[in-house]
Amino acid sequence: MKYLTSLLLLLLTSPAAWACTVCRPRVQAGIHNDAYTANLLLILLPVAVLLLAGLGLFFAADIRHRFTLRHA
Amino acid sequence: MSPITSPRPTRAPLIAAGLLLGAGLGGFVDGIVLHQIFQWHNMLSNQLPPDTLVRAKVNMYWDGMFHAAVWVLTAVGLGMLWSATGRPEVPHSGRTLLGGLLLGWGLFNVVEGIIDHQLLGLHHVYEYATNKQPADLAFLGFGGLLLLSGWALVRAGRTRRLT
Repeated sequence: MKYLTSLLLLLLTSPAAWACTVCRPRVQAGIHNDAYTANLLLILLPVAVLLLAGLGLFFAADIRHRFTLRHA
Repeated sequence: MSPITSPRPTRAPLIAAGLLLGAGLGGFVDGIVLHQIFQWHNMLSNQLPPDTLVRAKVNMYWDGMFHAAVWVLTAVGLGMLWSATGRPEVPHSGRTLLGGLLLGWGLFNVVEGIIDHQLLGLHHVYEYATNKQPADLAFLGFGGLLLLSGWALVRAGRTRRLT
C-alpha cells in the first residue's frame, strides 16, 4: 500500500500530470496579448482573398450589369 | 409586350462555387494533414516555435482560427453551389464543378503559400529542415499543378456542354 501511494504521488507530481492546469494562464496570456488583432488579421488574410475571388466570380455578371447600366 | 428570352448560358456561378469549396477543402487538407497528422507546421510556428507545451497550445489556438475560417469558406461555397444548381442558365456539368474544385485547391496553395510562407513568414511547410525553401516551393508547385488540372477540366466542361 505504501509503495502504491508513493507511485501515485510520483505520477501525479510529474510534469506530464500537472502541466496543463498550471500552464493555462500562460497559454491565455500567449493568445490574448497585444499582437492578437494583428495575428488574427494576418491569419485571415489568405482566406479573405480567396473569399473575395469566389464572390467576385459568382456575382461577376451582376457587377458587370450594374457597371454598364451606370455608364450607359 | 417584350419577348421572353432565355438567359445566356454561364458557368461562372458553378466555377465560383467549386472554387470556394475547393479552397475550403484544400485548407482542411493543409490543417488536418500537415498541421495535425504530420505535425510539420502550425499557423505561427515560424514566429512562435511549438517547442514548449504553452507555445504548442498557443499555436493550436491559431490553427483553430484557421480551421474556422476555412469552414466559413466551405459553407459559403456550399451555399453558392445550391444557388447555382437551381439556375436554368447554369449547365449541370460535373467536369466544370470538379475543375472548379481543383482550381480552388490550387488557388488556396498558391495564395496561402505566397502570403503566409513567402511574404509574411508566419510558418513554413516543413519547419524542421535547415533549408525551408524546397518544401515551400513544392507546396507552391503542387498548387500550380492543381491550377493547371482544374483549368483543363473547366475547359473540357465547356466543350462538352456549351458547344
